[in-house]
Amino acid sequence: MTNDGLALATRGLQKRFGTRPALAGLDLSVPSGVVYGFLGPNGAGKTTTMRLLTGLIHPDAGTIEVLGRSFGRADRHRLFEVGALIESPSFYPYLSGRDNLRALAATGAPTGPGRIEELLELVGLRERGKDKVQTYSLGMKQRLGIAAALLSDPRLLLLDEPANGLDPAGIVAMRETLRHLAAQGKTVFVSSHVLGEVQQLADVIGIIAAGRLVREGPIDQLLLGEGAVRIRVELAEVDAARTALVPLVGDAMVEAIAGDDGWLAVHIAATRASEVNRALAQAGIYASALEAGNDLESLFLELTRGEAGASHEGTFFGLAGSNDAPPPRSGAADASTGGPS
Amino acid sequence: MRIFVAGIRKLLRRPATFVTLGLLVGLLGLILIAVSATAGQRTGRAAQESLLLVTFPGAYSLILSFILGLGGLFAVIYGAAIAGSEWTWGTLKAAVARGESRSGYQLLSFAAIVVMVGVGLVLALAAGVVVAIIGANIAGVSTAGLNDTETLGKMPELMARAWLAIVEEGALGFAIATLARSQLAGIGAGIGVYFGEQFASIFLPDIVKYLPFNAATAVVATSGTGGPGGGAIARLEPNVALLVVVAWLMGALLVTAIFTERAEISG
Repeated sequence: MTNDGLALATRGLQKRFGTRPALAGLDLSVPSGVVYGFLGPNGAGKTTTMRLLTGLIHPDAGTIEVLGRSFGRADRHRLFEVGALIESPSFYPYLSGRDNLRALAATGAPTGPGRIEELLELVGLRERGKDKVQTYSLGMKQRLGIAAALLSDPRLLLLDEPANGLDPAGIVAMRETLRHLAAQGKTVFVSSHVLGEVQQLADVIGIIAAGRLVREGPIDQLLLGEGAVRIRVELAEVDAARTALVPLVGDAMVEAIAGDDGWLAVHIAATRASEVNRALAQAGIYASALEAGNDLESLFLELTRGEAGASHEGTFFGLAGSNDAPPPRSGAADASTGGPS
Repeated sequence: MRIFVAGIRKLLRRPATFVTLGLLVGLLGLILIAVSATAGQRTGRAAQESLLLVTFPGAYSLILSFILGLGGLFAVIYGAAIAGSEWTWGTLKAAVARGESRSGYQLLSFAAIVVMVGVGLVLALAAGVVVAIIGANIAGVSTAGLNDTETLGKMPELMARAWLAIVEEGALGFAIATLARSQLAGIGAGIGVYFGEQFASIFLPDIVKYLPFNAATAVVATSGTGGPGGGAIARLEPNVALLVVVAWLMGALLVTAIFTERAEISG
């Protein structure tokens, strides 16, 4: 298997824990030099994938390619060019942050002189570097974990929920750091539940559900291609609005969004939002709100809907991905003032 | 080599290192002082036997035997704590994710424990000798045998044997915690195995001498009863015990290496 231009590729990756399938043929293609957002509901197989990619566990079937070369049981040296933060950061609580990085630097690829101080500075822990990790907050441990992942100046960075526990300033700093790394040609693979964060950070996303990849591609293309325009009208005008929009897009492409609050979804390219607004106005209907384009949350819910039952942890109170979910608000604009966003 | 040096650094800063040594030295000192202080209240053979602990040169091997006995329990706990924490804290996971050899990491981490056990043994013996001298003065026993050249000449070999024996006991704790993948479970299971072996002597007196803790105690030939099982169990001849101890040590390290190589690491 060779996948030119890919920093990471998996083909038919399968993993079972007992009788329970965690991955059922995962095909990932992560281009070099991008930030890749890896999304999926709880139990979809994200962490299992991360563990497989770092050799912590081994696949039952399928192949993994890391930085253009095959990665199997005997290929641990491939990880010398990979930095990883898997699940929660792992440290000796009785050692200082600095000493923890020193201990970790004794493993894997050699670390350059001054690198530890450089990283402590980068993650804002230089002043607290001498303090024991057991005195650190969750966010500080997370920052130290990111520093640990960067120890060997890796070409490929695998981060599992890197924003976990970070304060807003920390999240912004992390985002800038990761973008900077990608600009340098490094590949950043980020698993996250924070969809808004991924939307701001990632160039490419992959969405996994029930152990399979359900969508992958550049985030801009996915959001535009899967686009919809959502409008909100008076409840009494829902049927009239639907009738007004049918000539524009066809009957099947206009649907009411769950709830009796007057939201309609029009499946049309986001760039044609003004046509929707015009058609409504011509029918004498004025939308109280209009959202153009798809946001990651609605795309995510749409793609993982139905897969939630097949995933291993189910859904939170049975709501996620259901038709009862409230309509997305991201990108909303008041039609009377701002028009489509 | 980097992992070995880092392992030494980690153990030097680890509270468990000082707590283990402190407990061993503290208990040793307490018993020696107590024996010395109460020797005057006994008469006849009982008084003579209790004073052997503070009567040199015999006290050297008795103190070593005591360290070997009590140290065995501490060694299994210490080994289990070090190995178990690598799983509990996820630090083994971090090393493996950096491309480090699993078994190499574990074995070099254990090599650091071997060094710490050696240093701890020397410090405990030194502290025991100092306390025994104090005890001898309290009990009014002569310390003339302190410089007995014949005994002192044998001490390096006895120390080396004791070191190997304690290392074997530490390796058992290390292997048990690796199998348990947990610090707490490893320590608990290690203590269970230690006392289980003593309990087994009731039912399996001919076999128990080959088991790891009893064999370790028999490596240093003394007339003392400092080891587990005391004098009730037939002991192996010291050189045979040495071979048995080496076999248990190799076995424990092999189990550790194989299990770590094959384990699915999570958490």
